[in-house]
Amino acid sequence: MSGLLAAAVACEPARLSDLGTLVQVLWQFLSLSLFSLGGGNTLLAEYHHLAVAQFCWLTNTQFADLYALAEAAPGPSSMLVGLLGLGAGWREGPFWALLSAYGAEAAILLPSTLLMVMACLSWKRLEHSPWRVAFERGLGPITLGILFAVGLKILRTADTNWAGVVVSVVVCVLMLRTRISPLWFMAVAGVLGGLGVVNR
Amino acid sequence: MTEPRPSLSELFWGMLQVALSAFGGGLSAWSQRIVVEQRRWMSSEQFLTGLTVARLFPGPNQINMAVYIGAEFHGLPGALVALAGMLLLPFSLLMGLGLAYFHFHTIPSVDRVLAGVVAAAAGMALSMGFKILDQYWNDRVALLLAAVVFLALSLFDQRLIPVVLIAGPLAMAWYWPRRQSNP
Repeated sequence: MSGLLAAAVACEPARLSDLGTLVQVLWQFLSLSLFSLGGGNTLLAEYHHLAVAQFCWLTNTQFADLYALAEAAPGPSSMLVGLLGLGAGWREGPFWALLSAYGAEAAILLPSTLLMVMACLSWKRLEHSPWRVAFERGLGPITLGILFAVGLKILRTADTNWAGVVVSVVVCVLMLRTRISPLWFMAVAGVLGGLGVVNR
Repeated sequence: MTEPRPSLSELFWGMLQVALSAFGGGLSAWSQRIVVEQRRWMSSEQFLTGLTVARLFPGPNQINMAVYIGAEFHGLPGALVALAGMLLLPFSLLMGLGLAYFHFHTIPSVDRVLAGVVAAAAGMALSMGFKILDQYWNDRVALLLAAVVFLALSLFDQRLIPVVLIAGPLAMAWYWPRRQSNP
């Protein structure tokens, strides 16, 4: 019982109205920005860690839902960060939720944007530099390892019954073997969920 | 060949058009169609260079591409304007969906449908690693590096930043381009 209570106390949702917390949150997103290798999806497990374990804004289930929402909606799936911000500010009401959503998205995009602008300006020199070659070839395998870890993390977070795991594996294979739009997979799986075949 | 460079407001509306056209998917194909073929702001080669830079540097590829297009014409202000044009509609839509989610997600039928959608989304996440596995299949060092990174993150529950800071320089040293005479 006391262990249970301790766990509950340890995971008190971090409030953004506290200035120290806000600075800490912004710093986390700003620094993660420069580590979004391979197109940004490499950060998914870190987002989960921040939102669920460290700052306790979201439950496991909510995180999985928001990830699915970001994948289903049009536009870059990295907008998930905005949804995390929404979850972080939700307890303070919709206005704060939106403010923290825009803040989180700005924080995750700003550093990589600045670096990208500098890269564009100096690309002629960078293009044939050994640094560029080593960076591109060296970070590739690291991205590969991260993406497998992210896939496993999301699968664990989804935490569905065996039918759900079958759906995940089938979707994974279809993503690799066909060019069918993933929206179809989500629609069919949503129906399976509604019918109670897939549950959690 | 290419038209005169776009103004800031033209950049904004152009990227907004890209985002709108891509509501069914295929963002980078649409941005090429609109930026290169329709509005003729860039040559194909310029655009392809942009894709290379966007993939190489940290940040979501599609967003980096918008930054590249904006920065090419107006530096940092151009980059921010292009980014705003590309994100405004999809981000606002997603936030609307998000607010609806936080209002309604406790309704049992909504939760049941979401459980199914989440299973499909997990499959999509699972496919990301397999998608790029092929290109490293014959490189044992790459597979070893990937395995070490995977284990550090998944089994030993290490955080991403320290793992990349340690593995990154080691990998870069191994893949540092060697001279032709010294294979």
